[in-house]
Amino acid sequence: MSKNSIKIFPGAIVCEEAKLRGDITVGSGTIIHPCATIVAEAGPIIIGEQCLIEEQAKIVHRLPLDQQNKENTPVLIIGSHNVFEVGCTVEALKIGNNNVFEAKCFVGNKVTVTNGCTFGTGCVVTDEQILKENVSIFGAKCHMRESLDKPAPQTLQMETLVKLLPNYHHIRKPNCKH
Amino acid sequence: MELENIYYNKHEYVETASGNKVCRQTVLCGSQNIILQGKVIIQADAIIRGDLANVKTGRYCIISKEAVLRPPYKKFSKGVAFFPLSIGDNVFIGEKTLINAAQIGSYVHIGKNCVIGRRCILRDCCVIEDNSVLAPETVVPPFSRYGGSPAAKPAK
Repeated sequence: MSKNSIKIFPGAIVCEEAKLRGDITVGSGTIIHPCATIVAEAGPIIIGEQCLIEEQAKIVHRLPLDQQNKENTPVLIIGSHNVFEVGCTVEALKIGNNNVFEAKCFVGNKVTVTNGCTFGTGCVVTDEQILKENVSIFGAKCHMRESLDKPAPQTLQMETLVKLLPNYHHIRKPNCKH
Repeated sequence: MELENIYYNKHEYVETASGNKVCRQTVLCGSQNIILQGKVIIQADAIIRGDLANVKTGRYCIISKEAVLRPPYKKFSKGVAFFPLSIGDNVFIGEKTLINAAQIGSYVHIGKNCVIGRRCILRDCCVIEDNSVLAPETVVPPFSRYGGSPAAKPAK
């Protein structure tokens, strides 16, 4: 599993200092900050469009011990408009669209994340479950409740970052066509 | 509050003319926007995001291992602007702490594993306990002690 094959679609900004390992596809409009870590250990990772992955965020594709099976390699599909803030660790099986993983949250490898979920700062979710849409997890005791609205998209911040980051960082060149 | 002595390996650090000690393993993005006034210590794997906006620290600050200093952003109707992050003198920032504050006064002690939310203002001489989470736009008054998630003044 030491082969690195990274596909970047045009319009994505992937800083060279980001640590990418394994078979990773980055959709257009996605921003990966320096020092973010993405590890495709158990199988490929496909990241959708307009995702924001900040520094020290860790996305790991690793299967639970009892599900490790050599015959079929599952693909971790991450939808569009997801935000991974500083220092979060995400090992979820599947991630939908419009989710926010706030700073220092931890999502275990038995969790399936649907759409519009918010993981609060420092929250830990490890139990085997499929989260409903628009669920918020918050506070020191990781309370869970359904929110009225889905989290606001970060498109404005990303527009600024698209202009800012290429001035200061080396960007990996896109190597895929639409 | 007296801090313990910290010993360091001289080969791993670079010392500047004004006495800043910066570890070689740090990530300083946009270093032209980072101002360290002197005698500042930055330990291994700390990240300072000078590329987003200016970061200015006073004298005698300690930024511990794996801490992240990141200027906050604010939404406007016409997009997002990043604001400069200014830190006073004699500030201690613990390990793995994330700072998104707008302003930090002097003589502030921030414990380890904290998250200081977006555009918080920490006044002089306040203490943030370990593992606390300050909600965005909190103002911490001088000489106060905050802890918990979301952080508040502990009840007496």
